[in-house]
Amino acid sequence: MFKYQNTKSSGSKSWVIQRVTGIALVILMIGHYILMHYNPDSGHTYQAVLNRMSYSWYRIIDISFLILGMYHGLNGVWGIFRDYKLKTWQNYTIFALLLIFGLAFVAWGLSIILSIPYVHTSNIH
Amino acid sequence: MLILCLIINLPFILMSQNSYSKIKTFDQKNWVKENLSYKKDTGSWAWILHRITGVALIGYLFLHIYSLSPLTQGEAAFTDKMKSFTTPFFMFIEWLLFAFVLFHSLNGIRIVLVDWADGAKYHRSLYVWSWIVGVILFVMMGVIMFSYEIGLLAK
Repeated sequence: MFKYQNTKSSGSKSWVIQRVTGIALVILMIGHYILMHYNPDSGHTYQAVLNRMSYSWYRIIDISFLILGMYHGLNGVWGIFRDYKLKTWQNYTIFALLLIFGLAFVAWGLSIILSIPYVHTSNIH
Repeated sequence: MLILCLIINLPFILMSQNSYSKIKTFDQKNWVKENLSYKKDTGSWAWILHRITGVALIGYLFLHIYSLSPLTQGEAAFTDKMKSFTTPFFMFIEWLLFAFVLFHSLNGIRIVLVDWADGAKYHRSLYVWSWIVGVILFVMMGVIMFSYEIGLLAK
């Protein structure tokens, strides 16, 4: 990927994706903040999480939030490193580390979201 | 013919090399100093702050996944973890985090407008507006987040 930085892959696709995911994240973040902080109970109690997670569409939004955020963030960090002319082995190491950490934490987040049981108990959302 | 050309052009080649060597090139040792010495316009500050907030936010995302991991261990473990996050100190940190999110979001919108909506013509006023909107939303979020504490103070 970075080997052909100036020829085959100019990074223009990732540039567009970075903007598209950024816009999506701004929209998701507005909803996230309203849900988490409009009412202190909705953000910080187990029952509220259970209730939200009893809807599959909410899980889908959560999972896409996780993946979009992780991609946008790590692509941004990768972009910072690409601003400096590093040696090829350094680029490979950084890229591999970002990829491994990103995949591991996305997997962890997915396992957390999917392990929450489907129960609807009260009316706190 | 080629040799003649070279001989005629030799003074110019030497001169050009000489002047080229005088041009200041990238100095790795004084990298930070040199970067700080550049005159900064609104766009430079936006760029610097966008970077700092971005790195902080990806760091927070990792922390966020970690802090929500007790969800798998049931209600008691989660409530115990959440106790430490609802202390006034952590709420203040969360409020500061919102400032980071706000700057990165509003400046991100500014970047998209510059790239896709002819924003290069009005990027300075966009920067100022993003600060105005950001400060207003920051204060509003403070009131919402600390509404309970503000209520206590009012009594």
